[in-house]
Amino acid sequence: MNTNYAAPSDLGRIQGVALGIGLLGIVAWVIGLTLSGNVREIFFHSYLVAFVFWAGIALGCLGMLMIQYLGGATWGLIIRRPLESGSHTLILMAILFIPVAVGLGNIYEWMHRESITDEKLRAMLDHKSLWLNPKFFIVRTAIYFAVWLLLMLVLRKRSHKLDETGDPALIQSAQDWSGPGFLLYAIACTFAAIDWVMSLDAEWFSTIFGMLLIVGQGVAAIAFIISVCVILSRREPMNHVLKPKHFHDLGKLLLALVMVWAYFSFSQLLIMWSGNLPEEIPWYIERFKGTWGYLGIALILGHFFLPFVLLLSRDLKRNGRRLVFVAWLVIIMRFIDLLWLIVPEFEHGHPGHLKDYLIYIASTVGMGGLWLGWFFWQLRSKALVPYNDPLLPEALAAGGGH
Amino acid sequence: MAEVFKKEGYVDPRPPVLGPGHNFRSISEKIGDIVLMRGFQKGWVFGFAIVFLGALMLFNTIGYLVLKGVGIWGNSIPVAWAFDIINFVWWIGIGHAGTLISAILLLLRQSWRNSINRFAEAMTLFAVACAGLFPALHTGRPWVDYWLFPYPNTMGMWPNFRSPLMWDVFAVSTYATVSLLFWFMGLIPDFAGLRDSAKNKVQRSIYGLLAMGWRGDARHWQRYETAYLLLAGLSTPLVLSVHTIVSYDFSVGIIPGWHATIFPPYFVAGAIYAGFAMVLTLAIPVRKFYHLEDFITIRHIRNMCKVMLATGLIVGYGYLMELFMSWYSANTYEMFMMKNRIFGPYGYMYWLLILCNVLVPQLLWIKKFRDKLGVVFLVSMFINVGMWLERFVIIVMSLNRDFLPASWRMYKPTVFDFTMFFGTIGFFLTCMFLFIRFVPMIPIFEMKTLLPESKVDEHKVEEHISGTSVGANPLPQFGD
Amino acid sequence: MTTQEETGIYGLMAEFDTPSSAVAAARQTYDAGYRRINAYSPYPIEELAEAIGFHKNMVPLTVFICGILGAIGGISLQIWTSAIDYPLNVGGRPLISLPSFIPITFECTVLLASFGAFLGMLIMNGLPKPYHPVFNVPTFDRASIDRFFVCVKADDPKFNEDETRAFLTRLGAREVSHVEK
Repeated sequence: MNTNYAAPSDLGRIQGVALGIGLLGIVAWVIGLTLSGNVREIFFHSYLVAFVFWAGIALGCLGMLMIQYLGGATWGLIIRRPLESGSHTLILMAILFIPVAVGLGNIYEWMHRESITDEKLRAMLDHKSLWLNPKFFIVRTAIYFAVWLLLMLVLRKRSHKLDETGDPALIQSAQDWSGPGFLLYAIACTFAAIDWVMSLDAEWFSTIFGMLLIVGQGVAAIAFIISVCVILSRREPMNHVLKPKHFHDLGKLLLALVMVWAYFSFSQLLIMWSGNLPEEIPWYIERFKGTWGYLGIALILGHFFLPFVLLLSRDLKRNGRRLVFVAWLVIIMRFIDLLWLIVPEFEHGHPGHLKDYLIYIASTVGMGGLWLGWFFWQLRSKALVPYNDPLLPEALAAGGGH
Repeated sequence: MAEVFKKEGYVDPRPPVLGPGHNFRSISEKIGDIVLMRGFQKGWVFGFAIVFLGALMLFNTIGYLVLKGVGIWGNSIPVAWAFDIINFVWWIGIGHAGTLISAILLLLRQSWRNSINRFAEAMTLFAVACAGLFPALHTGRPWVDYWLFPYPNTMGMWPNFRSPLMWDVFAVSTYATVSLLFWFMGLIPDFAGLRDSAKNKVQRSIYGLLAMGWRGDARHWQRYETAYLLLAGLSTPLVLSVHTIVSYDFSVGIIPGWHATIFPPYFVAGAIYAGFAMVLTLAIPVRKFYHLEDFITIRHIRNMCKVMLATGLIVGYGYLMELFMSWYSANTYEMFMMKNRIFGPYGYMYWLLILCNVLVPQLLWIKKFRDKLGVVFLVSMFINVGMWLERFVIIVMSLNRDFLPASWRMYKPTVFDFTMFFGTIGFFLTCMFLFIRFVPMIPIFEMKTLLPESKVDEHKVEEHISGTSVGANPLPQFGD
Repeated sequence: MTTQEETGIYGLMAEFDTPSSAVAAARQTYDAGYRRINAYSPYPIEELAEAIGFHKNMVPLTVFICGILGAIGGISLQIWTSAIDYPLNVGGRPLISLPSFIPITFECTVLLASFGAFLGMLIMNGLPKPYHPVFNVPTFDRASIDRFFVCVKADDPKFNEDETRAFLTRLGAREVSHVEK
């Protein structure tokens, strides 16, 4: 093995810090839950937000990994290892799904079909019960994870073998898997988005919803990868590898994804707002009220406007240390976006105060400790660059110069 | 640092984007001579004659339409939008590939685009011209179409900016304008090249006029490159916005089958899909006829096939989502719409659409087929048809059985619907024939940048400088 | 200097075969203290522009300003016409229907920014230009085909026809031509 690209030793320290912060989050979570008075309900609600957030980053990494193989842009292989490590956390996420399965009754309205008295609503849920029933729900999620884990393992195996043998046929094979793989991935992600998030409001439906969450995952993953790259670029050996040009390309990718996210979100809003149909618009009305209205404005500004304007600057994109602030902003906004999508469904039209949502921060930070611990464990276990990839010199050269 | 890891003996498996044995002059001549040669080739005259007949058919239909009114078409309540809007969307979609090839691929630094972008941009312009005809004529009184624009008038009224049809006016006119600017801007240096190698005075003055005095000044090139890149950056969201707004024409309304949030990305993907199919439909014969195999290589064909496959899958994803959501919505009208779409009186159209747009293009997964021009050509023909059918399915089949069963009525196109549609194809091809003959269809100056000798080699620059800077002694001559 | 103006000289034009030799010559000319230099090539060469000391590219700023003007123009046109000049209730939508106004605002932004890019480029480049002295050089036809030129203009303070000609010849030009005004 080529030791040139071994992970820096203090990555373990960063892993420890992440785990520590996660532990603090869990403590805060527990305290918050005991104070809330409704431990079971609040636990599952805040758990779902944390789960969807971290699963989103993991899935975004898997999707980006496949796009990286398909896109043919050589610089992409520089971020291949972080993406692989991010995808590997899907194993953790599969385990962490178990509590969601346990708490279905506390999370999803459609679990209580029998107790609904409104006849129309009841008829609709009866119709949907073919899809929205606990057994099928869990089977489906198992299938989604099977698809994702299969793709992750297949790509990982090829990439690690490439380190040993340097056989370019392995890259070809990874590319061949990535095409159909991405298709399966997208379909699984779409239905996961429908099941996990959209079905919280059993009546509401939107055909773009799957794509919206897929793009959101991509945004989160790239923002996360930028942060990791900045950490790595300050240490041996990646300080010789990651150059302004690479950050420039990552910044452009983030800009494009942020624009696509805004485009999808705006389209959904415009179509539903203009249509003003009784089965669609209540979903938005709930989210325009009180705190959610302010958070919605925060999303327009922080998830689109601000990153968009900042990322237009070439100098900012080329400077990793400044780019990382935009990346953090976007990651925070991803969290707020998921909060905005999920939590109003638990409130039935009575939005709470900002402090009521602190528990969601605690749960997400808590789960984040575990997630990041897993991620850094993976990242440390292999060389940080696929050093046997024949296109590596080109990718390195692509970062150099002016 | 880099050379430590350099792999020896690794050969890039991709075929080149420019055939071997070319230099600056040969590129100028090979492409420029198609434009500058005297007279016309027989094949060109023959083809032009045929497509011009199609254009004449269009002009006649328009003349008759203006005399008689839109009643000569088959549109009638409840199907008030039919061939006109289908064709509009179809043409706009075809236009999009042009902008995407030239703009997005430029931003992604994909040098393989250089040989096909001019061609694709021209296609965009002519397709948009064809597209614009339909809504303009569908207004019924095309001579007052200027009412669509907001201008102070004696009636004291303004257009309704809440209507997607109004957005469409702005989107399509902006798109046409920006595409024209982009195309013309790309042509300026090539016009200068044609001016300088013109074979007679007429050519020299016409191309000279178009070149506007371009002289390849290094400062000019810098501003030119920046402006061109920025135009590409602007065109990319623009092209997405145009088909998005076209999709809003439908989705903002509440007709089942139209009102779907997935419409924007799904229309955009469909547009790229159709557009790339049209580029291939045109490029494969032109490449053969003008022997441009060195410039439009198998790499281009392969890449375009991959783009088609990817966008085709997004379109398929859209069908899947519509299908699933119409059931999942538990909404009577949504469910009926889907049932009508699949098993209704026009059901065969839906199945044909699935065949053309979803099933046949799956052939492109296979590498061998992507290299076979015959197969690629055939698949793109299927997609051209399929994308037209898609608009038929969406537009006519959502309207002909609306909320009120008493008003249900089958739609039947008249002969004028067909002469109008095939007429625009004739008109489009007429424009393409003229373009190929009078404008360099491959950007000459951009092709030159693909040559290895076009790059400034810093080592050589150093050599020149160290060889000449002392100055006092007689020096060896460089560059001969 | 005055005599040169009388004879109507625009400058001296040196011709090169390869982009590298042209860039080398341009750099040396600049380093030798000449400032009013032009270079010509059949396709864009970034290094060539840098070599003659061109850094201030105002095109992006122009595009940005035009884009902002377009956005402001687009949104104010819609708000003014729909809510102020002729307020009309359409389908119960608010007079200022912001979501509905976004598409046209976007289109206006792009339209004006594009004009900014195209016209800005033309105006800053001083085009269209029906007559320019460099075209008086007989071999300049090849500037758009396969030759590279470096031109020192006569209004450069350091310009002296004989010295400059000797200098350019020493740089390895295959030919140095007198450019008629």
